[in-house]
Amino acid sequence: MNRTVVARLAALLTTCLALGAGLDLVTRPASAQTGAGAVARAGLAAPAGAPVAAPVPQIAVDTPPAATPTELIAGEADTQDALPQPSSAAQDLYESARSDLLQIRMLLKNGRTQSTVGSGFLVGTSNLALTNYHVVSQMALDPAIYTAEYIDTDGNTGPVELLAVDVLHDLAVVRINRNGSGFFKVPEQKVKLRQGQPLYSLGNPLDLGFAISEGAYNGVLTRSFYDRLIFSGPINSGMSGGPSVTASGTVAGINVSRRRDGESVSFLVPVMYAQELLRKVAQQAAPPPDFNPLIGKQLLAHQAGMVDRLLEEPLTLKGMGPYLVPVRESGQVRCWGRSNARGAAYAVDAMSCVMQSAVFVSDVQQTGNVSMTHRYIRSGTMDPMRFAALATDIFQVDNLGSTGDPRLTKPFCTERFVHTRTLPLRAVTCVRAYRKFEGLYNFTLLTASTDASQASLQSRLDVSGVSYENGMRVTRAYLGAFGRPVRK
Amino acid sequence: MSGPWTIETLARNGEVLHRHRVTTLPIRLGRAYDNDFIVDDEYAAAHHALVEPGADGTLLLRDLDTRNGINHKGRRVKELTLGGDTVVRMGHTSLRIRPAAHPVPPELVDRTMHGWEGMLPGGAGIVLCLLTALFVAWLLDAGGDPERYGVYPAVAVGAGLAWSGMWAFSNRLFGRRARLGRHLFIVGFGLAALVGVRLLASVVAYAWSLEWLTGYGSHAVVVTVSMMIYFHLATVTPQFRRRLRLSCAGIAVLVSLLILAGNMQRNGRTADELYMPVLLPPELRASPAVPVAEYMGSVGAMKREIDAERRGNAE
Repeated sequence: MNRTVVARLAALLTTCLALGAGLDLVTRPASAQTGAGAVARAGLAAPAGAPVAAPVPQIAVDTPPAATPTELIAGEADTQDALPQPSSAAQDLYESARSDLLQIRMLLKNGRTQSTVGSGFLVGTSNLALTNYHVVSQMALDPAIYTAEYIDTDGNTGPVELLAVDVLHDLAVVRINRNGSGFFKVPEQKVKLRQGQPLYSLGNPLDLGFAISEGAYNGVLTRSFYDRLIFSGPINSGMSGGPSVTASGTVAGINVSRRRDGESVSFLVPVMYAQELLRKVAQQAAPPPDFNPLIGKQLLAHQAGMVDRLLEEPLTLKGMGPYLVPVRESGQVRCWGRSNARGAAYAVDAMSCVMQSAVFVSDVQQTGNVSMTHRYIRSGTMDPMRFAALATDIFQVDNLGSTGDPRLTKPFCTERFVHTRTLPLRAVTCVRAYRKFEGLYNFTLLTASTDASQASLQSRLDVSGVSYENGMRVTRAYLGAFGRPVRK
Repeated sequence: MSGPWTIETLARNGEVLHRHRVTTLPIRLGRAYDNDFIVDDEYAAAHHALVEPGADGTLLLRDLDTRNGINHKGRRVKELTLGGDTVVRMGHTSLRIRPAAHPVPPELVDRTMHGWEGMLPGGAGIVLCLLTALFVAWLLDAGGDPERYGVYPAVAVGAGLAWSGMWAFSNRLFGRRARLGRHLFIVGFGLAALVGVRLLASVVAYAWSLEWLTGYGSHAVVVTVSMMIYFHLATVTPQFRRRLRLSCAGIAVLVSLLILAGNMQRNGRTADELYMPVLLPPELRASPAVPVAEYMGSVGAMKREIDAERRGNAE
């Protein structure tokens, strides 16, 4: 009797907290729900990354400078231990799991201040821990500037050694100086899950302290390029890299991201990719001295698969006014349309197709993405010269990214009057190369129809993180597909 | 040399501030009222200097033992033989004495259009400002906003009046008359030229696919504005046309170089824009379109350049 009351109270509290967090998250995208940009942003899942983990003011005030927040939380956990035997599945699970749960912190080598935090967990009885690539990305990309340390639930700290990364599935394996208790079992074969099955997600949300959250498995996400499990439970920043386990402690997936515009819609990396990565670690003699070429190779493999899948069949042609425009609508690429009749003088119909996932390279660089936008502008009343001024104004897009961006070269452009089989176009292709990863480029193609004086079809194609050949392939396929239906 | 003699008070730049004719020698100079030429200067003595006939018809200037004395070419002198171009300073006053036979340069050819002054060019300037502003308002009008047809002309005329008023003020200061009409015309014509050059460049660039014409459009603006300023300055001081032409050209080159350097620093290229965004009606296109395959060929050719840039900056 006493037990159920406590459990109910606890459940009520959890709901309230989750609701508060949910409200907080919902308000942000809702305020900017107009425009294709907002659609695109809302469409992409944001990694529940440590990068956003902002310290909460109360803790900063309450905690003496020398003490870490983790120690405070660990103390709280101890007092809870002393409470008379309240129990639930989650409590039992947390109790058995806590010794293998880690917080992984990226530290600036100078001054050893933390730059980002995430979670991780020890695999079986080994000294290997699994986490997300995006938790350790700084150390992988800039080992000269960043280093890492772990903190466990008892407040013990130690160094972290990066062994392997899988950028595409967002996984990393690190080695620490102690062994696990064997609680987290990473199974050899695929884990069978049923929709609705409860899963428990562990980690250190927002650097507030270790936590467990309960949710349900809800199938495989097909919108993403790589499989993700849908977890209907809260995953917050800082929980990235933590495990999501079944009640028996079998790891089903690794916490990776959540939808910012959703409520408790979170994503997990299926555990089978972690198994693959662990097998690779077992085979390699020593970790690579520099992860950058390895990451470049993985990104190259990603773009090859992505472009092949994008172009495996001819692009779909859709009608916009008198024009036929190429789009690709599939599970991974979603299209949104909107119409924007401005005054009576002219009207704009826009369609934008954006790939629903991108590969996280660093907190300022995402790649491996494709987006296509079409705008059909026409006017019945405007004089050709005025329409030309309007079309010119709309064709002037300057957001090819900052040219001072140190990760990319400055853009190089080629512009010509081009004709497809049925449509004359003005085409501009701008290409930027990745400085760190050889052989990867960002392609942008801008086109504008030049066949009518009171109508303009303006399109844009962005392909990021592709090889030059694949960038050309996509550009050629896209550009060549424009047309007008031929009248008989 | 014979009289009568003319004493000229000069400004620092050599301009004559005041002339006084004296028929007989000697000439007494000083602040006191019994002098032949009164030097109105607190730093001159009551009886400051005396001009007497010197050897073979020249004039001899003699200091009358004053505190500040007579200065010639930065040096204090006790006595000085005066020629027609000898300038002496007593106190803060610079003087020159010329005989009646002093030669003067021949008259200049008058190219000034005296009918093109006042209301006529002024009105034309205001009308040009108005028409240009109305044209721009109409061209950029993309959807029922009638307010712009009032705002654009008002701003253009107001700015034109303020700008030419400033020039007219300096014209009155350094020349003799304000010549507001002329300055207004220069403003109106300049504004129309700015818009016209921009339009012409866009049309030519689009027709023959000459992207550099719009890419370096800011330099056409610099040239037009510096020509405007040259005409303003030449209206104020017509006698220095050559010098003004050189300095305006120099300033234009300097500003253009600054724009190039600024673009290079900000965007890594000298052009103002990444690509030509101009889109005009199909009838205005004169250059042929190429097939997609040929275009992709030129896209492929960029790879070498980009890779070179990547390697160059990586090291």
